[in-house]
Amino acid sequence: MDLNQILQSVDLFEGLTAHELDRVASICVEKRFKPGELITREGATETELYVINEGFVEILLGERFGASARVVVSLGPGQIIGEMALVDQGPRSASVRATSDPTVVETIQRADFESLCQQETRIGYVIMRNLAADLSFKMRHRNLRER
Amino acid sequence: MAIFKVSYVIVGNANPGMILNQDHMPQKGDRVQLGTEYFEIIEVMELVPPRGEFHYIHVTCRPSGKKRKIR
Repeated sequence: MDLNQILQSVDLFEGLTAHELDRVASICVEKRFKPGELITREGATETELYVINEGFVEILLGERFGASARVVVSLGPGQIIGEMALVDQGPRSASVRATSDPTVVETIQRADFESLCQQETRIGYVIMRNLAADLSFKMRHRNLRER
Repeated sequence: MAIFKVSYVIVGNANPGMILNQDHMPQKGDRVQLGTEYFEIIEVMELVPPRGEFHYIHVTCRPSGKKRKIR
């Protein structure tokens, strides 16, 4: 499957044209992780957005404040990681650990993303709308867990 | 092709649940594997209206025996 097909299967990019997907693909860099490897650490100041292309990851909370980390959710193909820092530029809110072999992610640097959004404002609008919907979906998931 | 973004929540077990995209609509009574454990789907609901090819689904599961593998 080529990168455009992968991006098409991710709802963060829903509504983009083929040309717009090409532009997004041009700023993606693939990274591979082994099971147990940390993709990002809670509290870190980093600027990438990750899109899970293949495999699964665990989202862990608690490490930053000295507590033992606990898994709060697992994410699989098509899901995104690092979106909060992309929006608010704060530190990582959770650690993310790869759990499958391989775990393959597409990374997008914030600076590249912002530059693309400034050049093509429709791409920026569509992705930011979808990003808000993704955050909402994750909140709904958490709320349903608390029922 | 439709893509189903599914939020799996487990009851009666410490499993934290999972969110993933899959190519089929989950059905009540299906058995799925999440991580190393197997679960039976006891509830399926559309969480929000579909957008384009994407359907947003919530599934509640309980521990079960082996059958279909998700992960």
